[in-house]
Amino acid sequence: MNPRTRRVAIVAAALLAGVVWYAPAALASVDLSVGIRKLSDTGSLADCSAKAKASLEAFLVEASETSPGSGDWIAHSTNGVAGTPTATAVVRCLALSKGYVVTFTCAVQLPDNPYGADALCLDVAHKFYGGAITALAAIPTPTPMPTGCATNSLVGTWVSDDKPGLTFTMDLTGNVTDSEGVSGNWGLKGTTVTLTYYGNHTLTLSADGKHMHGDGYSLTRKC
Amino acid sequence: MARTFCTRLAVAAVGFAVVFGLAGRSAQAALDVVVGARNVVQSEPVSSCDSKASRALISVLGRAAEIGDTHEWKGAGAVDAAGSSFAAAAVHCYPLDGTGYVVTFTCAAQAPPAPESASVICSQLADNFGGQH
Repeated sequence: MNPRTRRVAIVAAALLAGVVWYAPAALASVDLSVGIRKLSDTGSLADCSAKAKASLEAFLVEASETSPGSGDWIAHSTNGVAGTPTATAVVRCLALSKGYVVTFTCAVQLPDNPYGADALCLDVAHKFYGGAITALAAIPTPTPMPTGCATNSLVGTWVSDDKPGLTFTMDLTGNVTDSEGVSGNWGLKGTTVTLTYYGNHTLTLSADGKHMHGDGYSLTRKC
Repeated sequence: MARTFCTRLAVAAVGFAVVFGLAGRSAQAALDVVVGARNVVQSEPVSSCDSKASRALISVLGRAAEIGDTHEWKGAGAVDAAGSSFAAAAVHCYPLDGTGYVVTFTCAAQAPPAPESASVICSQLADNFGGQH
């Protein structure tokens, strides 16, 4: 194999490895539900709109009419793990000479959303005109940032017990920065703390998560 | 020897960077849903709406199917190797008293990786639908 062919082969192998590695991220898709429609011989567009808003708000948030009096309503779910809504439903009311017709269309982002578009649309439609309601799973919420004093994390600010003015800020990604801007890394396994800061140091986290000692360091968490 | 190893490492790193760069963008995808146009068409039967809806969906997204015999049409964008589609749309046709019908467009996209936003898809559908005679 000549050098050029070998290089191309290496690039191809690297691309393939990367694709395989990231394959789970590519499984997301848009799931659309269409087809539920209800004809009402009585009632006005305003009646339809009132029911549309109430039906959407039973399962979603921020139901709104796209323009006042249009009869077109849209609402979305709370934010999913990625920090954006993963489900949306649209209810469209159309006034007829007698009564109105209403359509239900839903879209969800899979697999982030815990239920399908059909399940959402069926519930919204049943809430509108009556029918069995099936409980929808709660939207997974974004993982909150630890705010300090959590025994399973060192994230937060730590104060040196024996060096006045010296503090350490530890972030979620494992970085640590002292009060003079010198940075390093931290790790936590059980109660054993690994601090890479002017060399490697091993400390022990106290049971209440508020102190760590060892290897010449004594730190207290600033909650 | 060491130079050859470094060259291979650099080439492999470029390959990974390309893949990870692309994958990184797709990780920020969000669900985008738009309530599109609503048009009233006089003096045409609802079957005309059905035909136009089917053709518009196929033209813009590639696939179209009527949900039963409801005059409600659903289309989906191209499917990737994993069987996933990142764009979809609904076209609803409803007959009015006498002759004529009302047609509505509702669109969804996960962009990226979908190349177009839901708004653009709905605009293209409405244009394609209206441009048919």
